[in-house]
Amino acid sequence: MVLAAAALMLGPLVVDAQSSVPAKAKKVTFTVGIKQDIDSLNPFTGIVASAYEMYQLNYETLTDYSVKDFSAKPALAESWDTSADGLTWTYHLRAGLKWSDGQPLTARDVAYTFNRVRKGKYEQTNFGNYVAAMTSVEAPDDRTVVIKVSKPTPIMLHLYVYILPEHIWKDIDEKKVTDYTNEPTGAGIVGSGPFLVTEHKKGQFVRLRANPMYWGGRPKVDELVFRIFNNEDSLAQALRRGEIDFADDLGSNVFKSLKNAPGVTTFPAKSSGFDEIAMNTGAALDDGTPIGDGHPALKDKRVRVAIAHAVDTKTLVDRVFGGFATAGTSIIPSLYQDLHYDPGSSAYTFDPAEADRLLDAAGYKKAANGIRTMPNGRPLRFRLFGRSNSQNSQQTVQFVQGWLKDIGIDVRSKIVSEDSLTEIIGQGNFDLFEWGWVVEPDPNYQLSTFTCANRSYKDAGTVYANLSDSFYCNKAYDALFTRQSQQVDVAARAETVKAMQKMLYEDAPYVVTAYYDDLEAYRSDRFTGFQAQPSPHGSLLFQYGTHSYRTIRPVTKAAGPKAAQSPRSGLVVGGVIGGAAVLGGLVFLGLRGRRRPRSEVE
Amino acid sequence: MSAPAAAPVLSARAVVRARRRAARRRFVADFRAQRAGVAGVAILVVFIGLALLAPVLFGSDQLQVTKATGGTLQPPDGSFPLGTDETGRSVLALVVWGARVSLLVGVAATVISMAIGTLVGIASGHFGSWLGALLERLTDWFLVIPFLPLAIVLATVLGSSLLNVIIVIGVTSWPGTARLVRAQTLSVEARPYLERARVLGGGHWHQMSRHVLPNVMPLVLANTTLTVAIAILSETTLSFLGLGDPFRVSWGSMLDNAFAAGAISAGAWWYLLPPGVCVVIVVLAFTLVGRALENVLDPRSREG
Repeated sequence: MVLAAAALMLGPLVVDAQSSVPAKAKKVTFTVGIKQDIDSLNPFTGIVASAYEMYQLNYETLTDYSVKDFSAKPALAESWDTSADGLTWTYHLRAGLKWSDGQPLTARDVAYTFNRVRKGKYEQTNFGNYVAAMTSVEAPDDRTVVIKVSKPTPIMLHLYVYILPEHIWKDIDEKKVTDYTNEPTGAGIVGSGPFLVTEHKKGQFVRLRANPMYWGGRPKVDELVFRIFNNEDSLAQALRRGEIDFADDLGSNVFKSLKNAPGVTTFPAKSSGFDEIAMNTGAALDDGTPIGDGHPALKDKRVRVAIAHAVDTKTLVDRVFGGFATAGTSIIPSLYQDLHYDPGSSAYTFDPAEADRLLDAAGYKKAANGIRTMPNGRPLRFRLFGRSNSQNSQQTVQFVQGWLKDIGIDVRSKIVSEDSLTEIIGQGNFDLFEWGWVVEPDPNYQLSTFTCANRSYKDAGTVYANLSDSFYCNKAYDALFTRQSQQVDVAARAETVKAMQKMLYEDAPYVVTAYYDDLEAYRSDRFTGFQAQPSPHGSLLFQYGTHSYRTIRPVTKAAGPKAAQSPRSGLVVGGVIGGAAVLGGLVFLGLRGRRRPRSEVE
Repeated sequence: MSAPAAAPVLSARAVVRARRRAARRRFVADFRAQRAGVAGVAILVVFIGLALLAPVLFGSDQLQVTKATGGTLQPPDGSFPLGTDETGRSVLALVVWGARVSLLVGVAATVISMAIGTLVGIASGHFGSWLGALLERLTDWFLVIPFLPLAIVLATVLGSSLLNVIIVIGVTSWPGTARLVRAQTLSVEARPYLERARVLGGGHWHQMSRHVLPNVMPLVLANTTLTVAIAILSETTLSFLGLGDPFRVSWGSMLDNAFAAGAISAGAWWYLLPPGVCVVIVVLAFTLVGRALENVLDPRSREG
């Protein structure tokens, strides 16, 4: 879709395909509707996914993830080699690399960035895991980076650290960096990626322009706009009306409603996320000191396995995810085919009778009220936490509560915010909870969430949460974890990773409920050239890398129908009357305060 | 209880009884003349009846997501007269069960609100001293605080449960009543017979409970029915904002769920309309009854 720049300058709320006025140089603008605001444009500060999308658009990395299967692929470095002992890595940069302000991009910038992360404290938060094993990073010449590591590590193939321009960032010292917002000025944030952030209005939009200096060639669209929506229905309506070209992270019912919208293509992308029911397997600190008030019965593997048998993942996929998910098993989603462990015939099938049999055999007998008790008489009564910002979470909790009741386990559900849940988990004050993870192509981080060392820790008398949220601790697992972290051979490492998942599946600290899809929809009447990662069923945007942004192009034939789709009359009536009650409430409450008391004297 | 039986001359007690009987008869007759009020009562009887009969009409199993039999957002048909929600439960069953929570919260919150409002109102009207002034400033203070932000903050701090919603609405909706009661108290206390009671040595408690309270009671009663309407709307609003008990079906939480499940985009009007319409009808019914009561009990508005 072609939009005049003038219209866009007025801000996203007035952007309207109909109002584009003919200008001399027509810009091609690709507008993405997102639901998550960008927390910070400073790559050392931001943590949300939408912010990372900005970083990777703005800053190139040494190596990239391939669009096909996440394997390592050249980016700033056109090639690399390893010494025989795997302790010295040499990266060869492309010739003629330039920053967007015209300054040359050299190996010194790369060395500066890695050394800054290595030596910084604040900088470690987001990128510390990439540099943990590095002992030195040097730039012997403009196009060569030599990195020495203390032990062989596969992470060297995927150094996804955004390379920053030394001539800009050297002025932002370790004190300034914590408050540095990196907001764009003038021609935009100086970077090396395919697009550069030129404008950011908090809670409204981010605008980026194509970078003509980009090593891969200038992208085929001139401008990218990310518009932030706080409600799914308005996101879907904006796509229907053609105000935006791409909508991400849709709910299943909204997604289905877009299926027949003219000019719109819906795409249920396989994502790298999973949801789970996690269990408190015995909360303790990293040194083994017990903490929290978790139910002792959940330390018993037989109880956890019985729960796994009682949760019907297929029904969750159908009812909670509207069919747009795959029933879950192990903690590396099936999207990562080479790493995913499939339990096959030994999978826990939905079988309440089997769950009953397991619990009976383990000595948890049903009392008169139908609730099972431990041999010491304590009833199996678990607290189950759900997340207040997720409808899927609250529904899953209701289903699990119902199923566990059927096998004699009484569940008390509670919905809390993610912030408070993090706190509750870190202190070990839970029995069960529902949450999820997004798994990176490198499995190291995900696997580390089950190591003994990553349980909560104590500092100056206060207990702090760490990565572990099930408090799983198994020496054999930890040994395998160390082994995989040093296996550079991809196939050998995959075997270790699968063995670890098998161990977790059998011990059942998690019941992985679903590998959900990322529901995306776009204006196929206007744009084409998307690349799915991994091909052919993965995400079209919000990938590891900027693949689609570099290849999307406007559809060449005359733009398709852009008339506003009039919404169905039934839903208008529904919306109006449904909202009338709430609106009426607000009006009524507003007026109530103004009801004047009768005169004080008769 | 200990009235002298078959006394030829009517005792004082009997006279009072007879007078009250007559007043009741007059009240019923007056109320019957208010057709809108009668319609309101009829509607309320239907809804309260449905709410009480919910477990008989639709077993509590119908609220269990694991026992749901319908499809996702299935349009109305023979087996589901009002369609299904996103988990396949019957919307009709949800609406009927939802009436229980909505009415319960409405009435319970109003009781709290009325108790606080009447107490503060009478006390601030009766004690002209610093205590009265203090109570009135307190009322003013609660009046000027915007209700919704206060309720949201309270609900967030207390956590989402049915009892908390009742408390939040109760403690935030009393100042209007207090103002009304205070004004009436002042006008009652200016009457000569209260002056006489004071001269005869009637204490504060005696004056407030025996003379002022019976005189403000009709007003409180009329105000109660209007406050129930507001409380039900408040419950709907808070639940819609996700501050209610997520595991109890109420009309507000249904609207919240419908909104979150994308029922608007999906065109699932059968999920949005019924709870919305029910709230509108019940609030209207309470308002009609309240207005009618006001007309009957307040002589001044009757003349107008």
